[in-house]
Amino acid sequence: MTEPAAKAVEVVELGKNYGPVTALKSVSFSIESGRYYALLGPSGGGKTTLLRLIGGFLRPSAGRIFLHGHDVSHLPPNRRPTSMVFQNYALFPHMTVERNVAYGLKLLRVPASDIRDRVDRMLAMVGLVGYNRRMPHELSGGQQQRVQLARSLVLERDILLLDEPLASLDAKLRKDMCLELKRIQEKVGITFIHVTHNQEEALTVADRIAIIADGELVEEGSARDVYETPNKRFTAEFIGDNNVLEGTVSDVSATGATLDIGFAKIEVPAPAASISTGERAAFSIRSELLRIAGRDEDIGASWQVVPARYVEDVYLGLTVSHLVQLPDGTEVVARVMSDSGDNGRFEPGDDVAVGWPANRARLHVA
Amino acid sequence: MTDRGRDIPAPPARWKRLVGEDGIQKWVFYIPVVFFILFFAAPMALTVVWSVFERTQFWMEPGFTLFAYENFFTSARAENYVLSMLHAAAAVVISFVIGFPIAVFIRRRVTRAAQHRVILLFILPFMISELVRVFAMRPVLGRNGVVNSVLMELGILSEPITVILYSPLGVIIGDVMSFLPFMIFAGFLALEAVQNYIFEVCDDLGTGRVRLFADIVLPLAAPGIFAGSVFIFVNSMGVALVPTLLGGPGAVNAGLIANQAIVALDFPLAMAISTIMIFTLVLLLYIGHRLFDLTKILEPIS
Repeated sequence: MTEPAAKAVEVVELGKNYGPVTALKSVSFSIESGRYYALLGPSGGGKTTLLRLIGGFLRPSAGRIFLHGHDVSHLPPNRRPTSMVFQNYALFPHMTVERNVAYGLKLLRVPASDIRDRVDRMLAMVGLVGYNRRMPHELSGGQQQRVQLARSLVLERDILLLDEPLASLDAKLRKDMCLELKRIQEKVGITFIHVTHNQEEALTVADRIAIIADGELVEEGSARDVYETPNKRFTAEFIGDNNVLEGTVSDVSATGATLDIGFAKIEVPAPAASISTGERAAFSIRSELLRIAGRDEDIGASWQVVPARYVEDVYLGLTVSHLVQLPDGTEVVARVMSDSGDNGRFEPGDDVAVGWPANRARLHVA
Repeated sequence: MTDRGRDIPAPPARWKRLVGEDGIQKWVFYIPVVFFILFFAAPMALTVVWSVFERTQFWMEPGFTLFAYENFFTSARAENYVLSMLHAAAAVVISFVIGFPIAVFIRRRVTRAAQHRVILLFILPFMISELVRVFAMRPVLGRNGVVNSVLMELGILSEPITVILYSPLGVIIGDVMSFLPFMIFAGFLALEAVQNYIFEVCDDLGTGRVRLFADIVLPLAAPGIFAGSVFIFVNSMGVALVPTLLGGPGAVNAGLIANQAIVALDFPLAMAISTIMIFTLVLLLYIGHRLFDLTKILEPIS
């Protein structure tokens, strides 16, 4: 916060090798101050490596890290404006909750009376009033993570790093903790960087999401952007429930492109990247945008419609997934709200048509 | 099959209940109890009982006399016993000072995959007979031994040091050499249970080396250090071999005092000394319990 103009985090061509294994290829991106930022990706994709590099727990093999404009690439963790919340088992098991939270302040030689105040305020912030004298093993997993959060926040550093903080919690608790984390971040106003492999978690907490896979930054954008308008095929396959179909570009116009997928030519809006005729490409369409209708029904103007054969429906609680098979054998999924009247209209084997709003499909090159 | 299905199955015979499929499984768990009673509790109880028996010429006969205890406390044996405790304590302290840093080093600086292999190296000495191992200290520590020759060759010493062999110091050195690995094993195992995250949190908070050791490593390894210390203390007091080979004339430990009583065919005295050892160690464990609250440090970490 010393230099509000500077980005909270700026990473330039950052790379990390473990011997011959490359965990992170040259990654560059930046995070604005005060954001809740999620690093999302599959396990082993390099997102934790990236977080640990930012926190100073790993030495970069290449590139630089700037935090609030200062080059911290070779500073130890305690001399960076960051603090880390670990996955699990990171509380001092022999100290009470209070001593765990106070320990960092004690090292900084903060006066004892101040320590008491700040610890109590932090415990109140994370919802653990009255837990001062508990030992870590007397706490549930969620409570232990709250204590870790308090221990990091009490240091009043500018950037909080969270390494899969909710991975060991059950689904319900994870959901609650997500909202809690978001509330706390809004209250303290510092930058949070949250690593997770769980897309729902990332979408819940984050203002912005970076997709990290195979040691590379695949795509970066607001939570809504990466969900609704993914640019990369990987993003479309990783986030949400997208149908991805491959084909060859047969025509390119000012507003869009035409993709030949064998049994049909599909109109797709123009992608960010420039494409040329004859190129292999794919397009994605989210399953909740698909509609299934009878062969001769009119689905709607400006809808792209292809013939299909109905396969089956799968009840998922909130939604029902309808599986249909396209003429070339690929299966696509249409998701419909369970209480909608569109369910139960077709029997397996029925000839149907499946359609989607033409302007909602996303074209992905390679 | 068909007509058996209608019958209520007869209760299995008693022997079947004991050794049947379930019975065997049930009894397997009592084997340790039997073992414990047969080889641990019973000999200890007999030791206490025999210590008050009357001495005969070659054995002892039932009776009740505290003569053996009187003999112990009014002779030089009591004094030697206390000295033996002091020497054992010194061996524990030296083993901690040398052994615990080794354990910390292995846990913190050796790569995870190699840690257990390095620990295994410290088992190697145990593959050599203890007699040979302790005896081999003589040519190392002696007047013309390795230590003295090297130091004199280097010009550090002008005269050989003789205090390191056939002396109490020699006994302590021998105990440390013999039992040091126990401190390394126990310390390492305790540290192994400490999650790596704990050390990373310390990096994050900026815990210096001294605070890391005093505030985190030492308290978390306390159960292991205590276990290793008890091992070393018990062995230093009880293994008669070390003072016999390295102690010179008059050097004893508790084990050797008991040995000498047996050689003299004074079995009640040997039993009395053993009884006193048992109570000394129980007392030490009790003090350790009051100091560290052993139940607490044995609770699961995190």
